[in-house]
Amino acid sequence: MRPFTYTASTNKEAALRAFTTTSHYLGGGTNLVDLMKEDVARPDQLIDVNNLEYNEIVKNDKGGFTLGALLSNAATANNKDVRQNYPLLSMAMLSAATAQIRNMATNGGNLLQRTRCPYFFETSMPCNKRAPGSGCGALKGMNATHAIFGYSQKCIATNPSDMCVALAAIGATVEVQKQDGSSRMIDFNDFHRLPEDQPEKDNTLNQGELITAIHLNEPAFSDHYYYLKIRERSSYAFALISVAAGMQIKNGTISKIGLAMGGVAHKPWKLTEAEAFLTGKSASQANFEEAAMIAMKAAKPFEANKYKVDMGEKAIVRALTQAYERKY
Amino acid sequence: MPKSIFMKKSDKSQQVNTPDELTADENIILDAMGLSASSRRKFLRQVSTGSLGIYASSFFSSEVFAQTVQDLPEQAQILLNEIKVNLRVNNMVKPLAIDSRMSLLDALRERLALTGTKKGCDHGQCGACTVIIDGKRKLSCLTLAATCEGKEITTVEGLAKNGEMHDMQKAFVKHDGFQCGYCTPGQICSSVALLEEAKNGEASYVTEDLKNIKSGLKLSEEEIRERMSGNICRCGAYNNIVQAFKEVHSGDDVMPTWEFATAEQMKKAKNA
Amino acid sequence: MKTSNESGVGNAINRVEGHLKVMGKAKYASEFPVPNKVYGQGINSTIAKGEIIGIDTSAAEKVKGVLKIITYKNAEKLKGYDQEMPFISTDTIAPVLQSNKVHYFGEYVGFVVAETFEQAQYAARLVKFEYKEDPKPTINFDKSRNKAFKPSEKSDYSRGDFKKGMSEADEVVTQTYNTPIEHHHPMELHATIASWNNGKVLVYASQQIVEDASIAISGTFQIPNEDVRVIAAFVGGGFGSKLNLDRHVIMALMASKMIGKPVQATVTRHQMFTNTNMRQQNEQIMSIGAKRDGTLTALSHETLSHTSIKEIFQEPCGMVSKMLYNVPNNLVTARLMPMNLQAPFAMRAPGEATGSFALESAMDEMAWKLKMDPVEFRVKNDTQHDLHANKPFSSRLLVECLRIGADKFGWENRKSEPGTNKNGNWLIGYGVSAASRNSPYKKTYAKVILKLEKDKVNVTIQMDATDIGTGSYTIIAQTASEYLRIPIDQITVELGDSDFPPTPGSGGSWGAASFCNGVQSACENAVSKLKKNRNIKNSEEVALADLLKRNQLTSFEAEGMAEPSDAFSKHSVFSFGANFAEVWVDKDTGMYKIKRMVNVASAGKILNPKTAYGQIIGGITMGAGMVIAEQSKIEPNFGNFITRSFADYHVPVNLDMANVDVIFLPEEDKIANKMGIKGIGELGITSVAASIANAIFNATGKRMRDLPITPEKLIEAGLEPGVKI
Repeated sequence: MRPFTYTASTNKEAALRAFTTTSHYLGGGTNLVDLMKEDVARPDQLIDVNNLEYNEIVKNDKGGFTLGALLSNAATANNKDVRQNYPLLSMAMLSAATAQIRNMATNGGNLLQRTRCPYFFETSMPCNKRAPGSGCGALKGMNATHAIFGYSQKCIATNPSDMCVALAAIGATVEVQKQDGSSRMIDFNDFHRLPEDQPEKDNTLNQGELITAIHLNEPAFSDHYYYLKIRERSSYAFALISVAAGMQIKNGTISKIGLAMGGVAHKPWKLTEAEAFLTGKSASQANFEEAAMIAMKAAKPFEANKYKVDMGEKAIVRALTQAYERKY
Repeated sequence: MPKSIFMKKSDKSQQVNTPDELTADENIILDAMGLSASSRRKFLRQVSTGSLGIYASSFFSSEVFAQTVQDLPEQAQILLNEIKVNLRVNNMVKPLAIDSRMSLLDALRERLALTGTKKGCDHGQCGACTVIIDGKRKLSCLTLAATCEGKEITTVEGLAKNGEMHDMQKAFVKHDGFQCGYCTPGQICSSVALLEEAKNGEASYVTEDLKNIKSGLKLSEEEIRERMSGNICRCGAYNNIVQAFKEVHSGDDVMPTWEFATAEQMKKAKNA
Repeated sequence: MKTSNESGVGNAINRVEGHLKVMGKAKYASEFPVPNKVYGQGINSTIAKGEIIGIDTSAAEKVKGVLKIITYKNAEKLKGYDQEMPFISTDTIAPVLQSNKVHYFGEYVGFVVAETFEQAQYAARLVKFEYKEDPKPTINFDKSRNKAFKPSEKSDYSRGDFKKGMSEADEVVTQTYNTPIEHHHPMELHATIASWNNGKVLVYASQQIVEDASIAISGTFQIPNEDVRVIAAFVGGGFGSKLNLDRHVIMALMASKMIGKPVQATVTRHQMFTNTNMRQQNEQIMSIGAKRDGTLTALSHETLSHTSIKEIFQEPCGMVSKMLYNVPNNLVTARLMPMNLQAPFAMRAPGEATGSFALESAMDEMAWKLKMDPVEFRVKNDTQHDLHANKPFSSRLLVECLRIGADKFGWENRKSEPGTNKNGNWLIGYGVSAASRNSPYKKTYAKVILKLEKDKVNVTIQMDATDIGTGSYTIIAQTASEYLRIPIDQITVELGDSDFPPTPGSGGSWGAASFCNGVQSACENAVSKLKKNRNIKNSEEVALADLLKRNQLTSFEAEGMAEPSDAFSKHSVFSFGANFAEVWVDKDTGMYKIKRMVNVASAGKILNPKTAYGQIIGGITMGAGMVIAEQSKIEPNFGNFITRSFADYHVPVNLDMANVDVIFLPEEDKIANKMGIKGIGELGITSVAASIANAIFNATGKRMRDLPITPEKLIEAGLEPGVKI
């Protein structure tokens, strides 16, 4: 790990003021400290923001709830309001990592989780995300776990978060503090970005901006929800494919739906067309299957990750079915 | 391969420490055993210093052990970005000057000689370094020691009270919830924290009903396995770990799942 | 064997060192409080083949606390191999940093020592190497076939006439089975604290065989073995990866010699992929011929694997096919390809773990073709004579293992047609496999020290054996308790010090039999000598304390030795077992759950059922890992392991495993050794993968011949011809 100075901030102003171009805010550290040990992240200053007061869950004016950015993933997933109003979010968050890591990882940090692409981690290999201009090793290398949607020739990495897949399905707004002391709101679907020509940028944050809150949309999917995570082992593994499915069903008809996938793109992949197709339709197996086909139509897999198309279709159908048939 | 001739390397005189050359830790162990200088020499003729730790540490309660290691002289080191932090570990406070890069794991192992907390991967991918911080199980390898000022840290050495093992430690011994023992401190810290999580009614990915959870959960086997999946055991003692946890969690005796074939079974199998 | 007391052999007592492990007091290699120690960090090559043409250490040297940077330019000259392509063993020398040549990605090219761990880690990243890269490293298994060679005359074996046997068959199966590179990944990272003090070496290291580690050190540095002491009081798992001496120990010693301080070096988890052992990739082609009634007529097992470009190691995959079944015509071959990878070495049940996957899958395929019950098919081809060694088995209860296991498991409920047992989205399958594992036994010495203290005899046992989680401390104490007839709390066992009497160490399933017979001999010698001194008949029962008193002694020492008998060498000594698995496969997602397993083990005298159970479930877990996800993949353009961390290389987690019922067969194999013990540590992993893969076939009708069986492979796989779903 490279040397860095450590600054513990007790208030927002001090944290924002201390930030320089080579600083990183330190939340739970579960991703950042690992990347620093790997020499992938190279801050010369860590600004510990854990003592800032963004650690509550409160009702917001959208009829939903707001999650403090510094609250742990475990505390969030197990919060009574979250469990009852957004069980899809709880389920997705609980599928991630382990109890220990969820106790450490913060909500804001989860949004900033970086890819698990091995070319990104191995500093001796090319990676445009880690070292812009060095090339994409995965493009002509090993890409069985890589993107099938929205990638560019510069980067085919995927976003590893489970929480973010659920947030894409539910809908949310991210509040950030700017260095000048003002704040701004970012629609969750605009928070992460596609790699395009700048894969080094995972999201649309500007330098020095600090996430302070995640405002969740009005609860809608507390009766019909499911987070399906397909992975190589039954726990403690990143998803090959994941699907967050939430539905509001009235008299057998889908009145509202949230559907998103993980493990397929540089950002949580909201299945907008499939959502539109299913809205107003009956919650039937045939409709689920057609929606899945619609969702996967635009997939452009590589030889090694062709399986994701088939797996993705099946996963969407399964997640919708499980959500529909849910008893609790 | 073993030598064909029995060889005793008795001429390695420089390797046999005399009491004067013992480390502070070893001297304290010997003191606690009540051995005077002459009996130390006698003792050391029979016991290699290498195995001294194994031999003697069974005489210690964790509190005494922790006390001794905290008194180890600190090496003077030139540190860049030095941070002063008061680490409160197992109810004792130790002021340390550390490199800002030092993980809590390395601070425990290399500076406080609390080597019960293990380094299995150093990247948050195995759980061997699990400790309890402010009541929550966390990974000490991804925790910078600098961030721990004012936090209450409990390691495996701090679970026993007055020399008596925690129920979970006893259950791990009874159910053989380990083999090589290296993941064990992490498994036990994790299990102890999980007891609380169950009491608090915290959910997991395999919990069917997320909306109506009561406190005081009785965890099913699948629940225990999912919630203990953050602690990898390469020896594969998972079944025994689950048995140990179940016994403490439920308060009921849990039976082993091995048996010997009966004479009748043997006869039937042979003649079938 | 009648047990003399509650802590003698055969009792399910708790581990004697258990309290140390659960309280965090057991001391592993890097945990000894060695004063003034400093920290070393190895640097790895970032090319697969070529040479170093420039080294810039200037930035690293400027780092505060850096004490030494060692590369081939300033490294001490060490002993090299005496021949080209030597077969590596557990005591092979480990030269390192001897030239500018790079043989594989991740090979050590430097070593940095600093005052602190953080400084050493950082400085290691700052040493810059410039390479002249060979553009054509041999890193692709498939493209290396033209380089395959026969490693030794003993690599090939045949009996009868394989071709004739195949021509006599009514049904034949010819299939290829692939197993990937695997890594042992014990939880304790390989570590050492190494001191060089005036030519005398003291090394705390995680080693399975301390004696061989000391031989490798003295051989590498060309110093007398008497000057080398290796201590491994506790070893945090080995599985073969700590059998031999790895190069970080040599680098730490070299550094210690240069700077005059003890050096602690820990191999990182990332380095565990390239600087400790691995199991090689195997392509195994199986051919089986059988008569309609299930009688085997021919069996061949041809294995293609790789080794390094400097050393040879051959995993004997075909071993099981030579001896497990009564087949008159048999052909076993092995070929190796030199590749720009580190040398592979033994991983838990080398040969059996992988070979049994191929054999027991192929047997299942044949049973399916013959429409025969897979248990009965195996029973039909049982033999009490080892056709390969042409010796009788010392004992062989395979049929009992299969039948008792089938009963316990409820095998009669198995639906023979795949895809017919369903529950919601789940397809349910049952699978079986037979297991065998060679049970060696090696010369072992032990010392027993008796001390009379207040009418009680306190006993210390010393030997250089190790406990790598296997339970050595406990079974050795139980043996002493048995033969000295004293309670176990009066016994202290001291292991893992190369100054103690030599043993073969832990590995190859020889530990329990060797250690315990050695201790038994030492105990017996102690008692008989004390009796002889006072002319007491050997048959007369005298309490140990009285014996010392009658000798007017307060302390007494005796040594003992045990080694294989003539009877042992006239027999084939193997442990046997059977695995039964119930697997639930999700019909859509390709994820599956091992619901339950039954294992029956016939492994001679079970010294302690509690620790023996641990060995079996441990083996089963690692066997399940072979199926679930374990594989180390080589990046095709660079030659590094793309699976580079514990987040990429997936070993089983708690939720992956299910309940395992283990049934031990009551057995004492007195031909194997005096105490009737056979090995159990590797039996547990043998054929586990096949039982699960066979269950997956029974569930889905998909025959999975490439390990691991991941969700993506399962989704993409087609139905086996002949399966109707």
